Amino acid sequence: MTKLNKKRKWFIAISLVVPMLLLVGFVVIPAFDLFRMSFTNWDGYSKNSDFIGISNYISMLHNKDLWLSLGNNAVYFFVHLLMIPIELMFAVLLNSRLRAAKFYKTMVFLPYIINGVAISYAFSYFFSPINGAFDSVLELLHLGNLSRDWLSDNRIVNYVLSSVSVWRFSGYHVVLFMAALQSIPKDIEEAAMVDGARAWHLFKYIQIPAIMLMVDFVLFDNIRGALQVFDIPFVMTSGGPGYASSTFTLYTIKTAFSFSNFGLASTMAMAIMIMIVAIYFTQNTIIHGLILRDRRK
Amino acid sequence: MMKKVVTQGVKQIICLCMVVIVLAPIVLTLFAALKTKADMVNTSPLLLPPVNRITFDNFTKVLSDKYLLLGFKNTGIILVISIFFNIMFGSITAFIIERFQFRGKMIVVSLFFLGMLIPNFVTEIARFRIIQGIHLYNTLGAPIIIYIASDLMQLYIYRQFLSGISVALDEAALIDGCSYFGLFVRIIFPLLAPATATVCIIKAINIINDMYIPYLYMPKNSLRTLTTYIMNFANAQQGSWQLLAAGIIIVMLSTIVIYVFFQKYILAGVTAGAVKE
Repeated sequence: MTKLNKKRKWFIAISLVVPMLLLVGFVVIPAFDLFRMSFTNWDGYSKNSDFIGISNYISMLHNKDLWLSLGNNAVYFFVHLLMIPIELMFAVLLNSRLRAAKFYKTMVFLPYIINGVAISYAFSYFFSPINGAFDSVLELLHLGNLSRDWLSDNRIVNYVLSSVSVWRFSGYHVVLFMAALQSIPKDIEEAAMVDGARAWHLFKYIQIPAIMLMVDFVLFDNIRGALQVFDIPFVMTSGGPGYASSTFTLYTIKTAFSFSNFGLASTMAMAIMIMIVAIYFTQNTIIHGLILRDRRK
Repeated sequence: MMKKVVTQGVKQIICLCMVVIVLAPIVLTLFAALKTKADMVNTSPLLLPPVNRITFDNFTKVLSDKYLLLGFKNTGIILVISIFFNIMFGSITAFIIERFQFRGKMIVVSLFFLGMLIPNFVTEIARFRIIQGIHLYNTLGAPIIIYIASDLMQLYIYRQFLSGISVALDEAALIDGCSYFGLFVRIIFPLLAPATATVCIIKAINIINDMYIPYLYMPKNSLRTLTTYIMNFANAQQGSWQLLAAGIIIVMLSTIVIYVFFQKYILAGVTAGAVKE
């Protein structure tokens, strides 16, 4: 038995050593290094840097452009939030008796797997002020006077970029909702139908309660996603004009790699990390609360 | 009966609207890619040019670009090596976490959990120095090692799948004198095949589509991936949309093809991360 025990220990140790080393070297150490760097004024290339206490944290809190960027993250959050009922509707629709449902399911998830950079360029072309397709659509509908500089007007640029984000990511939520709906036992729905329940009753009293956990996950995923928006503004406007369409992550990355202020950027990275971790634990508490409440019933 | 037909009709109309919205940016890009420079101005962006003026020149030009071929090659190399190690490390780590109790397990699990929780974009600020320190900057090794070390979604997929494989199997094999490695390699890993397929395909799509890591770590021209190729191409082709459009279509096709063939595995994988507890 001891021989087997020893073998078992060796197996565990040998198997885990490389993955653990990689994890510690490339994930855990960088995370702690970010924390250390957030108290320095390192510029990214010098050998030395000074410990400057919490002054990065103070200057972060006083940075207007960063707050503006965080406000832009909020635009993505609210636009995606408005989409959740529509995503839910599509999930119910695609799960119902529907001709060609398989084709529609393929289509709804297509944007999510498409190359984000390539499609961002395609959308730049779509919203282009010169010969742009979107302006042509407006003209076709006799709404030509609504046309404007979609990507360089401070007031609307974030909404335009959010709509691209909706195009790209909504399918993911629809697929998650569909997976949750499919986990409802069919006989419950059939029993309700026999008892005379209508589609709306089915939705309200059976489908919605059954997928509350997934709705919850999607809500939090939306917060996390909105907080980390990067690709779309980076490619389509690089945060411009000025910082009008910058986001928290975009601003952080620019602070490090364009302005060579790694110390301040690390501070911002710490802020994002703290927000993500806080969101995670809030979500966990709420989900556990929901499960416990259901069990008590 | 009549009511059923009407409901189905309304449903079809709503779904068709969705299809139009999904396909519009792709189809309009394809239209542009099929136009000559003159037709870009002369014809509506919403329409194809007259049939006799449709041109494939943009595609032949883009396809003969040596950087596109390099992009395919580099992306391919990164894909194969990272996915190989992701599968190897991911499956065995998940197996050990799921099936064994050992001292320090709590630490191992919490470290991996931490790794999954940390947002990846901002971590690069600190990781950058480490990659430079081990002289991987501007080599294919940089994205490869980062994808292997930090992208941990395969653990979810494997753990979820493992929980459906009976422990009795392990015990029987061990009693019959199978070694632990033998048990894993000959019995568990083959049973994980569907999970492995899912990991392969999801990783392939993520890696092909990733812009940030190759952009940050491999500015060298000869190290372009498909995605950084299209970025460089876009910056160099300011104003000639028809060429860029052809490039966009080619780059997009690579993941669309994977999606169309392996849809089942993709949907299984993307929901795995969400239904975790």
